[in-house]
Amino acid sequence: MKKVHTFENVIINLKHFWQKRGCLIFEPYNSEVGAGTFNPATFLRILDRKPWNVCYLEISKRPRDGRYAKNPLRFQQFYQCQVIMKPSPSDIQQIYLESLEGLGVKLKEHEVRFVEDDWESPTLGAWGMGWEVWLDGLEVTQFTYFQQAGGMDLQIVPVEITYGLERITMILQGVSSVFDVKWNNTLTWGDVYRLSEIEYSKYNFESAPTDMLSTLFETYEKEAKRLFDEGLVYPGYDHTIKCSHMFNLLEARGAISISERAKYIGRVRALANQAALLYLNKENEQAGISND
Amino acid sequence: MIDFLLEIGFEEFPPRLLRPAAEDLTKRIQALLKEKKVFFRSIRTIYTPRRMGTIVLGLSRRQKSQVIEIQGPPKRFAYDEKGKPTEKMIGFMKTNNLKASEIICKRTKKGDYVCGKTEIAGATTESILRSNIPLIIRGLEFEKTMVWNEGKVRFPRPIRWIIALLDRKPLRFDYAGVQANRYSWPNQHFSFKPIRLEKPREYMNFLRHGGVIVDPNERKKIIMTRIKQAADKSKGKSVYSDDMIEEINCTTEYPEVVTGTFDEHYMTLPREVLMTVLRAHGNVIWIRDTNEYIYVFSAKKKALQNVKTGYERVIESRLNDAYFYYQNDMKNGLQNMLMQTKNMTWLEGLGSLYQKSLRLQNFSDVYRAVPGVDLDVLKRAALLCKADLLSEMVREKEFTSLQGIMGGYYALASGEDEAVASAIGEHYLPRYVGDSVPRSLNGALLSIADKLDGVVGAYLSGNRPSGSYDPFAVRRNGYGVINLLDIFGIELSLFEAGTKILELHTKRLDGGVLREFFDERMTRYLQDNGYRYDEIKAVLATWNGNVPDTKKRCDALKSFRGSREFVKLVIGQKRVRNILKNLRTAGVVDGALVREPAEKALVHVREKVKPNLEAMIERENYAEVLKMLLEMRPAIDKFFDDVLVMCDDEKLRANRLAIVSSINDLFSQYADFSQIVIEGEKTQR
Repeated sequence: MKKVHTFENVIINLKHFWQKRGCLIFEPYNSEVGAGTFNPATFLRILDRKPWNVCYLEISKRPRDGRYAKNPLRFQQFYQCQVIMKPSPSDIQQIYLESLEGLGVKLKEHEVRFVEDDWESPTLGAWGMGWEVWLDGLEVTQFTYFQQAGGMDLQIVPVEITYGLERITMILQGVSSVFDVKWNNTLTWGDVYRLSEIEYSKYNFESAPTDMLSTLFETYEKEAKRLFDEGLVYPGYDHTIKCSHMFNLLEARGAISISERAKYIGRVRALANQAALLYLNKENEQAGISND
Repeated sequence: MIDFLLEIGFEEFPPRLLRPAAEDLTKRIQALLKEKKVFFRSIRTIYTPRRMGTIVLGLSRRQKSQVIEIQGPPKRFAYDEKGKPTEKMIGFMKTNNLKASEIICKRTKKGDYVCGKTEIAGATTESILRSNIPLIIRGLEFEKTMVWNEGKVRFPRPIRWIIALLDRKPLRFDYAGVQANRYSWPNQHFSFKPIRLEKPREYMNFLRHGGVIVDPNERKKIIMTRIKQAADKSKGKSVYSDDMIEEINCTTEYPEVVTGTFDEHYMTLPREVLMTVLRAHGNVIWIRDTNEYIYVFSAKKKALQNVKTGYERVIESRLNDAYFYYQNDMKNGLQNMLMQTKNMTWLEGLGSLYQKSLRLQNFSDVYRAVPGVDLDVLKRAALLCKADLLSEMVREKEFTSLQGIMGGYYALASGEDEAVASAIGEHYLPRYVGDSVPRSLNGALLSIADKLDGVVGAYLSGNRPSGSYDPFAVRRNGYGVINLLDIFGIELSLFEAGTKILELHTKRLDGGVLREFFDERMTRYLQDNGYRYDEIKAVLATWNGNVPDTKKRCDALKSFRGSREFVKLVIGQKRVRNILKNLRTAGVVDGALVREPAEKALVHVREKVKPNLEAMIERENYAEVLKMLLEMRPAIDKFFDDVLVMCDDEKLRANRLAIVSSINDLFSQYADFSQIVIEGEKTQR
């Protein structure tokens, strides 16, 4: 009997796989993020010296990538499976390949290619070295050893593995559009998200009020600063994430010129750096490490 | 005789860095063996994306033994009358651990001495390798490295295993948290199980069974053959460069090829678009003028069908995007895009892209006198050249590199003149040092205008280059401008062109800023063309911004440099310059005050030479100019020998300085020769 790799099964299988490898199973964040990296379970937790292994689904919002449900591979929102292992195990690449096999990708029948790609998030002051992973030519994973986050060298190098779940499932099911991906045995991805894609594309490109978005950016920025001044990392970082999302929306609306863009990114990065510093100070305080 | 295998295993290495790194590793090991006098028969480099290493065959077990002589006391103090060793001699033998059989006598100028002659056995190859290999790995240098574990060792990608096998024995050492051993790892598409090696000679074959061709030359041959076979089958010619083959070689462990096809209607896309899409997907080689391509992959042959389907799907999706953008752009038309440039800011505070186009158009008037220019074509191309930045195609990240090229296609489709279209198509060239240049003169002129405007714009918007900061690639553009002026022999003064662009911006810049920039770029350009630094400095001290003319001056100077008279010429102007060092302004020569014969002679020579010299400069006959300047040397020398310039009479002094200054002016019409460094100059003085 041929096993159907439904979208939901892929998610469940991956979580199960990483749970067996010692990862804490976390959940998506409760605020719009552009990538799983923004989730505090990554951005804050990778900063300190304590071991941290986690796996979670993240709902990645990329307002600019919407295509009104007309492109088989591009949407304004997709699912990532985010894995962080700190420190990174020495056989992590093999573990990753085993996770693909676990999903039903037989390595003897496919090509998995690690294509050099040094990842960078200017808004988070973060960068790392690693690869895009191509499965038969389709990018399905970003595999990165973080070197810096929040503008600081990381004390223990974590590995970040980010799976593009729709794309992997597409290959497993042998379909050529994500809209045709079977979510379960009765519904497709398109059944669930088509209308949402069309409406969000409309909102992101045409309807989102730019004045309100920039006002919100300013408000969130101010609030983040105030919270950092009070020494509240998590609430302050929440507002940093909100700033980032406002910026993404403004950009999708084409309301930002090239030079303004750099300035906005700089403002979000300044907040992220502040969050990182504050978090690390608190962690070190708890661990009794002095900060000089 | 023994063999040695070093293999450093890592996660996929950046392809660009791989080959140089592997070759460097071998070179360092070879140098070590040579330095330590360890004999070997052959040495070779291996690399794949996941490993690099060195195989040394026929090594000696030890380094060559050394015979050394240790000098002892004079013979007369070493033995007593009975020929028995003295206390002194016994002490010498003891400290140096010498046996009686190792003692010889040596005759020197100072008399006879005893000497210990002993052979020191060489260190074992094993100990030499064990202690030096980690140092060699640490010594490898890379432009970009990372850390991945607590050891904080830096390398381009994480090191995961090391084999250091000397015959049957693994050398034990730790590096980057890895213990050297005898286990290698196969191609992951074949197996996850390590490969155990008894001895180095098993390496190549065992790895081959594990899906790894470790020898890069063998791999390259396989790649070339497979590509050729596939291309022959589709009756086409494959398009690839040596760089592409090298990149494929550095990204495959076990090359297999598959031929993919795309729908024929994509063939109507411009060939640059097709190639951009295919190139973006790694090891893809287009079979020219067909809807087929070859992909080189690195997995099991069994994967062929999945790889083919996968690639066809991905490439289809990208071509579909490209086709969609292309159709929309053709419908929209270049004229509409041009109108949209009115709403697009070029640089903050410097107006819209449309205004930039108008500026380029107006600037074209400076080319009026350039032979072969077609101003109508040029102005039309200038107006339209930035419109494609508003096309859907060029706005897409993947196709940004097609800016200009798409504009050329869209211009043709909109019924523009072919000459206009090609000028637009080539006006970004050269994009970097060594890139191809426009084929048409109009394309070159437009490129010069665009690049100069970019340079001036960067300075005006506070983005001038400093250190490694050069966000608008101002340096590269400045270099490109000079390169084009030179190649096309365009007699345009950079200084005047810069002023003209500033005028068109209706903006000002601190005086000298652009001049300084052009001086620096021109210096670099001339250095790259093989001129010496002092020659360049001499010519640029008085240049007028005209690139071809300046290069001719450098040429004449360079070929004159070999002659015996060269020094005379330089010293001539040095003498002149020295006396003028602190002079602010010189007056006009008053004939009535010219009294001494040597004075008169110099003035006379100057008057005779001046019109001829200027005529020769006009004709750019610089060899002749140099000859004339040289002819003045005896008169100059005589003048300095006979006439006291800094005399007490103020009027006379001023007049003599004026004479000297007028001579200097003649020299300066060519160059400031006093900048030339003469060998042994200091001792001469």
